[in-house]
Amino acid sequence: MAATEISVDHIARVEGHGDIRLVIEDGQVTTCEMAVVEPARLFESMVRGRSFEEVPYIASRVCGICSSSHVVTDLRAIEQVFGVEVTDRTEALRELLLYGSYLQNHGTHLFVFAAPDFLGHKSVFPLAEGNPELFERALGLKALGNELCTLVGGRSIHPITAVVGGFTHEISADEYLRLAEAMDATREFALASVDLFRDFDTVDVQTEGDLLAMVAPDAYPVCTSDTLRFVRAGYDFSAQDVEEEIEEYPVGHSAAFLARARRTGHPYMTAALARVNASWDALSKDARYAAAKAGLRPPEYNPFANNIAQAVELVDVLDRCAALCRRLAANEFEGGSEPVKFDVRAGRGVGFTEAPRGALFHILDIDEGGRVRRASIMTPTAQNIANLEADMRQLAEKMAAGGYDTDLITLEVEKLVRAYDPCLSCSVH
Amino acid sequence: MSENLSPTAERRAPRVVVIGLASCFGCQINITNIERHLMDVLGQIDLGYWQLTSSVPMPDEFDVAVIEGAVTTEEAAETVRRARERAGSVIAIGSCAVTGGIPGMASGDLAGHVEAVYGDAAPDACGDLLAPRPVSDVIDVDAEVRCCPIDPFEFVRVLDGVLYGSNRLPATSALCGECSRNEKGCFYKQGVMCLGLVTRAGCGAKCPALGRPCNGCAGLSPDSNVEAARYVVGKRGLEVARFNDALEMFNAVAINAAQGEE
Repeated sequence: MAATEISVDHIARVEGHGDIRLVIEDGQVTTCEMAVVEPARLFESMVRGRSFEEVPYIASRVCGICSSSHVVTDLRAIEQVFGVEVTDRTEALRELLLYGSYLQNHGTHLFVFAAPDFLGHKSVFPLAEGNPELFERALGLKALGNELCTLVGGRSIHPITAVVGGFTHEISADEYLRLAEAMDATREFALASVDLFRDFDTVDVQTEGDLLAMVAPDAYPVCTSDTLRFVRAGYDFSAQDVEEEIEEYPVGHSAAFLARARRTGHPYMTAALARVNASWDALSKDARYAAAKAGLRPPEYNPFANNIAQAVELVDVLDRCAALCRRLAANEFEGGSEPVKFDVRAGRGVGFTEAPRGALFHILDIDEGGRVRRASIMTPTAQNIANLEADMRQLAEKMAAGGYDTDLITLEVEKLVRAYDPCLSCSVH
Repeated sequence: MSENLSPTAERRAPRVVVIGLASCFGCQINITNIERHLMDVLGQIDLGYWQLTSSVPMPDEFDVAVIEGAVTTEEAAETVRRARERAGSVIAIGSCAVTGGIPGMASGDLAGHVEAVYGDAAPDACGDLLAPRPVSDVIDVDAEVRCCPIDPFEFVRVLDGVLYGSNRLPATSALCGECSRNEKGCFYKQGVMCLGLVTRAGCGAKCPALGRPCNGCAGLSPDSNVEAARYVVGKRGLEVARFNDALEMFNAVAINAAQGEE
């Protein structure tokens, strides 16, 4: 039996630059590479020697889609070093800012990047002509994410207002109430999105790696916990120990470092699917019902279900944002949001948040003058690549055994890559 | 263009391609962030290639190339040279493409930065690395959309000008004049450093209006006097060294070049 080679240069509809190399010989995958071909971006080195005030500004530029996540993660690392306690109101605003990037990210990924595959299109533009109502509402959802980020962070990406200790600007109570109403008005479409992605056919792949997500008792946390769980291996650890628990390692074909759990040696996926598996019980009632109706219940190990998990999170996020906005308008959180006073001191801090695409860590070592001595960033995509390669291998072998032709295998492999919602530019930082 | 002026000639929509180099992709994302207006813009052009949104490959011929990101590899330099040969007009968008931006911070000591992240050598997948530089250091650029990130409406205005002509000139003055019209006060009066003194106007001074000093993302104003600004910083009791550090964030390539000339 001849060897089949699959080669995709520059995978479309993902953020960043990546190539796929697959060789199947006699039904066995002999080469399986997700090559991240980004130029070196050198952020971990560029922030060395910079003042803590500049660091979130610089790190934000790792990623144009989850810039809010990079900023909040950096702020948490810096505040840990300085011993800064922020107010409940500031915490609430940071959650809102992150949720804004969830709406932007999931809206863009689901409708602009992923949906065209399932509808047989090469881009989102035929959708605009063929199903203008769906297109309009999908854009509306993304626009709501932009509006939330703009009102809380000062602009749709690379937020201006979030600084160490608090926020430099806040909107009025009326604007929070208007946002809450906009969230309520969008819920129905988010629920319809769950149904839409449920109805798309996917190949049955069961990831053999683990799932990693932030956890907290009775919560679906995104930036308020320091605890992580490996869902499959069934153990928790503190983000403070992330460098001991997770090993980053280089491979020749990728400009990004790959990752695996040190205790088990297994690769893993960190994403909406991991969060839904880890904190299913704490999803909002609407979101949990929608997930159950779509057949998404833990344990769910099919990576294609990440699309449904993101749609479920849209429902959850809209519910949470509406509640947060109403509480902010009613002044229910203790304290204001103006930056609290603090003293600069030396130390090591680990910032950890759930970015839209999964667990994000910024480890900063700061000197007594407030300058960075050492920085390490671990993005969700870099952590996911090893697991994605393992899933790609499984998918290709399964389809080769089923006698599918090369074009179909290529399409399904690309769909799998997009289901992971990779940010390849982020993964090289 | 002249045949297009004839009322009887059949009009062909101008073909536009969008190329992403080393960047956060944020400026491309920001173009999609003008949701309600996006289809109006797209309706007037033939979007020949946009890898972020479509798996249709890049065509051989196009009228306008929109380039995001800094040139950080030999491969990227070749890409922009090819784009220049084929395109009637080239638009650089965002700080990375216009000033070298944040990637430009590594331009002074590329080898040192690579070693700090990767050890001996960067993986092959990184390509043939060059000291990061703006697109205009490699090819002639016809129009620019400044800032990090770009204002998508500014992008539409610039694209419109390239396609149909415009008598609007880019702002050259420093930001302070534009900022003072917002009547939010001056950071220097609070003893806080701000790069508006030397940064090109045109953004509306959004950051100072929201309580955050200017970080210089629009690039140096051609009318600015950096040496005089350093004097003002020192006079206000602030550290000139900090001012120089802050300038490196978005203007390292220009500052390094100026120092090279001295």
